[in-house]
Amino acid sequence: MKLEDSSLSKKIFYDSWQNNFFKFSVIFFLFICLFAFIYPEISAIKAEKMNIKSKFLPPIFFEGFSWTHILGTDQLGRDMLMRCLVGLRFSLIIGFASVFIMLLFGCLVGIISGFKSSWVDVIIMRITDAQLSIPMVILAISILGVSRPNLASIILVLALSGWPLYARVSRSMALIERDKEYVRGARILGANDFRIIFFLVIPIILPPIAFVSVLDIARMMIFEAILGFLGLGVQPPTPTFGNIIADARKYLINAWWIATMPGIFLVITLVTLNFIGSTLEKSKNKIFGEGI
Amino acid sequence: MHLAGQFVRRILQGVVVVLITTFLIFSILRIVPGDPVRLIVGGMAPDNLVEEIAQKMGLRDPIPVQFGRYLSQVVQGDLGNSYQRPKNGMMGQGGDFNANMDVEMAEVSDLILERLPYTLQLAGLALLISLIISFPLGISAGLKPKGFMSKIAFFISSIFVSIPNFWLGIVLALFITIKLGLLPSIGYQNFAYTILPAIVLAVETCPFIIRTISVSFAEISQEYFIKSGKVRGLTRNGVIYRHTLRNASIPLLNLLGIQLSTLLGGVIVVEYIFDYPGLGQLTIYAVLQRDFPLIQGIAMVTSALYVGLNIAVDLITYSIDPRLES
Amino acid sequence: MSNLLSVEGLSLKDLSTGNEVLKDISFNLREKEILGVVGESGSGKTLLSQAIVNWLPENLEISSGQINFLGKKMSAMSENELEKDIRGKEIAYIGPNAINSLDPTYSVGIQLLEKAISIDNGNTTKEVLKQKVISLLDDVLIPSPEKRFYEYPSQYSGGMMQRAMIVDALLSSPKLLVADNITMPLDVTVAAQIIKLMRVLRDKFNTTVIFSSSSLPVVREIADNLIIIKSGSIEEQNSTSEITSNPKSDHTKELIDKTPKIWSEDITFQKIDTKPIISIKNFSKSYKVRDKNKFNSFYEVKAVRDFSIDVYEGENLGIIGESGCGKSTLSRLISLLEKSDTGTITFNGEDLSDLNKEKIKNFRQSLQLILQDPYNSLPSRQTIGRIISEGLLIHSQFNKSEIKEKVLSTMREVGINQDEYNKLLVGKSGSFRQRVSIARALILEPKVIILDETLSSLDQNEQEMLLSLFRQIQAKRNLTYIFISHDLAMVRKSCNRIAVMYMGRTVELAENKILFNKCGHPYTRTLLCTIPTLDKNPYDKKLYLMDGEPPDPTEIGRGCSFNSRCPNPTKECKEGSVEMGLIEVESGHWVDKCCVNCN
Repeated sequence: MKLEDSSLSKKIFYDSWQNNFFKFSVIFFLFICLFAFIYPEISAIKAEKMNIKSKFLPPIFFEGFSWTHILGTDQLGRDMLMRCLVGLRFSLIIGFASVFIMLLFGCLVGIISGFKSSWVDVIIMRITDAQLSIPMVILAISILGVSRPNLASIILVLALSGWPLYARVSRSMALIERDKEYVRGARILGANDFRIIFFLVIPIILPPIAFVSVLDIARMMIFEAILGFLGLGVQPPTPTFGNIIADARKYLINAWWIATMPGIFLVITLVTLNFIGSTLEKSKNKIFGEGI
Repeated sequence: MHLAGQFVRRILQGVVVVLITTFLIFSILRIVPGDPVRLIVGGMAPDNLVEEIAQKMGLRDPIPVQFGRYLSQVVQGDLGNSYQRPKNGMMGQGGDFNANMDVEMAEVSDLILERLPYTLQLAGLALLISLIISFPLGISAGLKPKGFMSKIAFFISSIFVSIPNFWLGIVLALFITIKLGLLPSIGYQNFAYTILPAIVLAVETCPFIIRTISVSFAEISQEYFIKSGKVRGLTRNGVIYRHTLRNASIPLLNLLGIQLSTLLGGVIVVEYIFDYPGLGQLTIYAVLQRDFPLIQGIAMVTSALYVGLNIAVDLITYSIDPRLES
Repeated sequence: MSNLLSVEGLSLKDLSTGNEVLKDISFNLREKEILGVVGESGSGKTLLSQAIVNWLPENLEISSGQINFLGKKMSAMSENELEKDIRGKEIAYIGPNAINSLDPTYSVGIQLLEKAISIDNGNTTKEVLKQKVISLLDDVLIPSPEKRFYEYPSQYSGGMMQRAMIVDALLSSPKLLVADNITMPLDVTVAAQIIKLMRVLRDKFNTTVIFSSSSLPVVREIADNLIIIKSGSIEEQNSTSEITSNPKSDHTKELIDKTPKIWSEDITFQKIDTKPIISIKNFSKSYKVRDKNKFNSFYEVKAVRDFSIDVYEGENLGIIGESGCGKSTLSRLISLLEKSDTGTITFNGEDLSDLNKEKIKNFRQSLQLILQDPYNSLPSRQTIGRIISEGLLIHSQFNKSEIKEKVLSTMREVGINQDEYNKLLVGKSGSFRQRVSIARALILEPKVIILDETLSSLDQNEQEMLLSLFRQIQAKRNLTYIFISHDLAMVRKSCNRIAVMYMGRTVELAENKILFNKCGHPYTRTLLCTIPTLDKNPYDKKLYLMDGEPPDPTEIGRGCSFNSRCPNPTKECKEGSVEMGLIEVESGHWVDKCCVNCN
């Protein structure tokens, strides 16, 4: 692969790809996603199917297990594996969607704010300050704790909690770019601010931030689980990691796996995702450190 | 001299931020559907009674008016009274739709001050644990980016950051309290009750501290003035302690400032799971019960804390590196 | 006299590439000698310096040969011994990156003291060491050393930091001082002062010096013997006088050839007989900088003061000055990136001072600016074709294929191959990028092009090539050039008229020949006496090299800002009550009124 003419994004990805763990993680992650989205559709066991006779079955290799339900069943006899997979679907969708929104919105606001630097900039910065001082949980509870939360409102609340950080980071990058020579060069040619921001500055600032945002996807998936745990996520009977675990507290002593399994699922997915994100971040630092 | 000028400017800006935050929360509470009055008088109360009480409480006035009234009270030191928690400690019943107007409600400031020490203790212990773990890992990872410690730090970071705090709390409670009986989990009777929640919080904050320290140490170590210490005749340890550490502490302090709200979020969830009687638990109940004055009071206090901490961080970093300015 | 240092067959290998970066270097150094090492960038002189002080990066290793210091083999010394006795103590190093050599979070003096304490082993008290630092700061001519002791590196200028690092090196009274390319980042006048200082210090402290540089004329000033290095090997080594009068190797001959010939060659320019295309009257520009010591006050930095000039159609005007003279601000003012506080600018008769948006947009097609840094002044994510077409995309109504036509033809004109159209800038050289910048500017068919330090980051060869390209284009399109630079040698070759700037004002304006041979202002004389050249310089350094540096731009008072350094200030000059303004001493030769008469 000829690196000379590749764009920076390709360079960063290619550099990460050299790492074998990274290759494995990406493939594993793709596999997990496919597994979560496809398997429950094609399997004979359905996540909602209740079977009181099979309730409280432990996972395999523990006393009393059943091969049909590899990870055991919950208090209503529903299969744990399927519930976890469906829950994973929501986590992934919410995680990706919310980060996508906060990335775009936050960076747009941040770059324009940093580049123009007028009183608008000052106000936006104070707003981000104000928002950063409110823990996401409080914000979420205040907004979601009122009516039945649906997928869209959850995604929006998460995006709302995360955009200030992106705005700040992209703003400080924009402040640095603003004084650079190529901006001056463009102005000499007669380009106006809009042109400079959209054609020159954004393509430079957005990619590195986008790579690091992978780490935030994991973070948002955890937040989604927390919200679910507090009862503010997608509502039961639809299974999400949060509400499964919240329910399972009652049965902790006797059926410990109902609370533990979803967590393990989430941790494995997130470790994979975090590893992918961290490797990309390291590559990005390396490539940017060497200059273009 | 100029430090004083900086200080004054920051304080003024900080007050503005606290005001904006309070106003945001104030308005959001009143705009989003969910009537606090209904929660006070109960679901069975007739609508006209709800309206009447709401009017008396001033909740039907336009928001700016309400806010102005609130601010004038705050300036006099009165953060208002809780909607739901009476002074004698018993929770409001909700079904009794005229009793609550007579029972004297607890003052918000009292409620907050009562709980604050517990939360501070929790946060303090958590911070201590995470610093003990993160510092050695972060520093050795930063000084030798390709070394063994660096890989260890990376793995520990990656795992810790992928663990949902509430799940960890439950698992710890399961193993350490129920199966092993080593430490208590629920509620608070003595200091031992702080340990498990603090561990969960520490696990949550470690990754960020490790990452910041290792990145800043690694970056600073590449600076020309650090590398040239060797050829100038300074000892390696001398350079690390007097120069690398000092310069690397700046990004770390900045991180602390920003991370406060994440820490607070974690405190809320952890206190909820462990039924720990701190400010976080108070917050959750306040929000779920739409106890406006309590929510506003807590928001104001935490916002002021955030602003104050950031000002302190800014002043400290400025005294370290005089080039840094707003 | 035995050798202080003896290098035998030293070869250095890069472990990551496997290449030998130094090959078989051998030389001897006697006490109190100054050895000059001359080589272009990348020739290995820095690596040689670093090898001698034992400060090599991890990937480099001595593959053969050895270094003997005071008779002891360096490779035989343990790391402990090297750390305790050699580095920073018996052998000291000063590098080209003085500004970044100290921790920005401590004051300069404290850090010098830190080193003094570190090498002292507890024999002397802190107070005594502090006095030693201050007295050394005084020796290197840093003004008010007791006060400067407590200032931070960011408050020191480049020249002052270099001096501070010299103090750092001298603290241990080293036997050997390795000065690696220390004058490179400095202005010519400051560099000349540092060289003079090194000679004085060598005599005072009895130090032996190895002085490396890429400029032969600079090294010639100071070195007793020379080593000429190319691609890691020694091309020639001999006494300085031998080498400069009788060079033996081809490389050395080439090197001597390439040093700028200022007075030994004469360049004639075409007579310019046209009317002014740009007319600037009384430009001035000040900036407000926050006063850190008071709460809400600012002080003024007067970057450009009362600047007027006429630029004639078809000429090459040079504007010369050192850092801080205001030329970068001036270029922003002329190109209308910023509005000047006072004064007017007329282009082709049209008054542009009111900055009407329409007018400015049109103006942008007639006046273009090519910047200095070829790596940062072009967008890195766009293809070359896209970069060059930018101007047409903004201003013109042409369609896609018409634009592509024009881009390709402009690329031909500046010497860029057609198949570069779809490539990115990654990996391209500095001079290639400058060509892209030129093409980008030319495509709008401007009448005037400002070259703001455009050639400063290129080496001699590349400069030559681009200058001839400029001449070609100028002939074809009848362009007017304004060269803004600090490089007198380049300006001598290319500009027919030259204006000298100091602290925001013009102090002298004359035709090329007159300026270089019969200049009238003391500052110009100082600039000219420090040009690194092998020619016989009609301006003697001993007479004309000034001490000190330009004053703080925030403290410009009334009257002549030159009075702090002028060799002959009158009473009025010192009081600031002297009258300013250019007067014509002879046809076409203007000098600042106040300095005309004091000679």
